Amino acid sequence: MTGDDQAGAVALLDLPGMTPRRLARLLDGLGPALAWHAVRAGTHPGDRSRRFAAAARAVEPAAVLARYRAAGVSVLLPDAAGYPTALVGDPGAPAVLCALGTAELAEGRPAVAVVGTRSATPYGTSVAAELGRGLATAGVVVVSGLAVGIDAAAHAGALDAGPGAAPPVAVVGTGLDVVYPRGNAGLWERVATTGAVLSEAPLGTVARPRVFPARNRIIAGLADVVVVVECHGRGGSFHTVEAAARRAVPVGAVPGSVRSPASRGTNGMLVDGCTPIRDVDDVLVALALARGGRPPAPGPDRGARRPPADPRLVALDGHDRAVWEAVDDTPTTVETVLLRTDLSVATVSVAVGRLVADGLLLEGAGWWSRA
Amino acid sequence: MIASIPSAVLHGVDGRPVCVEVHVANGLPGFTVVGLPDAAVRESRDRVRAAFASSGLPWPRRRITVNLAPSGMRKGGAGLDLAIAVGVLVASGVLDPTAVAGRAFVGELGLDGSLRSVPGVLVLADALAGHEVVVADADGPEAALAATAIRSAPALADVVARCTGRRPWPEGPVPAHTSAREASGAPTGDLSDVRGQRLARRALEVAAAGGHHLLLVGPPGAGKTLLATRLPGLLPDLDPATARQVARIRSVLGDARPPGGLDVRPPFRAPHHGLSAVAMVGGGNAAHRPGEIGLAHGGVLFLDELGEFATPVLDALRQPLEDGVVRISRSGGSACCPARFVLVAAMNPCPCGEGGVPGACRCPSGARARYARRLSGPLLDRFDLALRVDRPPGVELLGDVPPGESTVVVAARVATAREHARSRGVTANVELGASDLDAAAPLDRPAADLLARHLRAGGLSARGLHGVRRTARTIADLDDGAPVVGARHVTEALLLRGGRALLLGEEVR
Repeated sequence: MTGDDQAGAVALLDLPGMTPRRLARLLDGLGPALAWHAVRAGTHPGDRSRRFAAAARAVEPAAVLARYRAAGVSVLLPDAAGYPTALVGDPGAPAVLCALGTAELAEGRPAVAVVGTRSATPYGTSVAAELGRGLATAGVVVVSGLAVGIDAAAHAGALDAGPGAAPPVAVVGTGLDVVYPRGNAGLWERVATTGAVLSEAPLGTVARPRVFPARNRIIAGLADVVVVVECHGRGGSFHTVEAAARRAVPVGAVPGSVRSPASRGTNGMLVDGCTPIRDVDDVLVALALARGGRPPAPGPDRGARRPPADPRLVALDGHDRAVWEAVDDTPTTVETVLLRTDLSVATVSVAVGRLVADGLLLEGAGWWSRA
Repeated sequence: MIASIPSAVLHGVDGRPVCVEVHVANGLPGFTVVGLPDAAVRESRDRVRAAFASSGLPWPRRRITVNLAPSGMRKGGAGLDLAIAVGVLVASGVLDPTAVAGRAFVGELGLDGSLRSVPGVLVLADALAGHEVVVADADGPEAALAATAIRSAPALADVVARCTGRRPWPEGPVPAHTSAREASGAPTGDLSDVRGQRLARRALEVAAAGGHHLLLVGPPGAGKTLLATRLPGLLPDLDPATARQVARIRSVLGDARPPGGLDVRPPFRAPHHGLSAVAMVGGGNAAHRPGEIGLAHGGVLFLDELGEFATPVLDALRQPLEDGVVRISRSGGSACCPARFVLVAAMNPCPCGEGGVPGACRCPSGARARYARRLSGPLLDRFDLALRVDRPPGVELLGDVPPGESTVVVAARVATAREHARSRGVTANVELGASDLDAAAPLDRPAADLLARHLRAGGLSARGLHGVRRTARTIADLDDGAPVVGARHVTEALLLRGGRALLLGEEVR
């Protein structure tokens, strides 16, 4: 591969109207440099209508490549160094991949995709963060989509794992210069510094509904195991799960409350036979099975483990205990607590005030959940 | 010859006295009206002339000039017809000036000489205090609420016959007071119809006791409208002064009035979200008609689907919510209308309707924030009570829930709390000014510490702080009327306040 190939590939990618599928067709069987010249000359067999020829004549490939490099983006091509090996031979592999950061850091390590809904509960985000942290500490690359909710929590957890942990990899749907959602800008930056942010979209691509399902297939392609932490009946996570199923990548799901709408999809997956994921160890077992290795030896107390009783809980009495027991791990509305405890609004609000001050309850707008 | 007959026209929710001067002189027969009349007044020439013919009264075949004084003020409506007709009769010598001395005339004339009702007759009669006001029979009972003597007649010919003494005036109409809950046109359902919803019931009670504005946020079908319509039943009867103000506003709009009386039940207005800012606060033509908030004075203004109201309409509410009075200014001058009401608003937490509690909403986060942004922060800050209303949880929870307290029981507690408020010189705690709070709602130490913590955490604005203190005062009034507000009252007030986070579904802390 030469610089000409990179320039040709990125120039093709950058043409208006280019889609991942069209790009794959143009680059199929031809080197990027050759394909570029053919498109420009209007002789490319994949572009008989010459829809790209006129636009291509106005473009200088080297200038386009320089623009990408100036944005800190490296251009990865299949068969060239740096392109994720997990995607080589993948049926939906992107013909050109843009990367911020260093994708090579993730090479040779097992990878687990931790994905889920954007409207996650505190339960979901805390489990996602816990999985992210545990997996990164165990040397597993956490792959996710940098969306709000579960994705962000998983990345944040992986970054929390500290030095020596595996780098996180994010696959996003927008161009690498378009941070979406903007609220995740800080996280995006940290993932790019520690690991890599990948995208198959040219610079400047803004968030559109269709770019995300396409992004999800890359996540599934990179991962050895896909873990869904929380998801509703249908949605983005299901695209990832379907893509994983097509690639025979095992899928695990974190069980949730049967009353929680955010766990409806994951609980359904468990019914359909996905691997239940309770903690990092469950993921590591699934990973070992997927990679054909031996599962890690179970800890001596596994299964019988129980968290030590919290002294604050032991000390609870009276209304405080009644209120604590009426609140679930998932968000519980004020109304539900009132019904369950049969106490007055004043009594419950005072008890909750104490429990929140003790850090036993999380307070939301109109709901509470156990901390 | 010249005649000068007192009458009145509407300006906002007030009447302005108008002197109808009629001059009949020799010259080419004609009939002109000067003094800034609008189209309806100018058309009265034709009505008056036809009414004379139908009533068998002689029409002077001379030059008639009518001047409406003060001539700088714009005059509208057909209420001047009768005064013009009487003026023509006096000026042409048919009626003796002494026969109409001390009398004022308000009424519209039909072509057949009959007297028709005019909107705002109560307000107009009030403006003519000191005169004996002659109105149409149909307007009699309403005008009788005014603080002046009233006479009524069915037609122009009867007015002439009675003024000349050929026939006696019948007894003046008598106002009938009514406090029947059905009469107000407000919804009449009982609070016990609401199953479960303890938090919302409590909020309704606090809203009724303290006059606090209430925002209900919840998915479709959670019962927000049901709850809101139960609020008027909890409110006490209007005091006589407010009842009169309400009657005056309704009179101006020609709104359906109870048969012949003063309605002392608080009004309930639920305008559709498509209404304009003018329909909401009032205004329009030179008469400055009051809007929905004027009609809700003393009662409840219910805005369902608050997020669907146009932003200018909602922001127009901010000043009246603060002052209890709406000032409408137009090129033709300005007018004030009383508008002190309990604002109850209902909305979905997000476009899909299911949001609020994390995990249930299917909206993109951006769509949700945009939806929440439709309400300006200052408006949201004026809701002392803001809470989530969810669909009743599963049947297993509701199956053995006994029906809650009925309207009568809660209304009794509300009345007691209002007694406490009256002892502080206000009708409801929401009217307590920021400077009154230290005297009216002193905080004990734990309560002050709690509020200070919330202020430091940034969850409360200064307005919010005062709101919480007023709500806590009301809760204490409902509780036992203790002079000092305690931490438990403040805690409950904070819980009931909710705030913007309700719409965004964020964790508060």
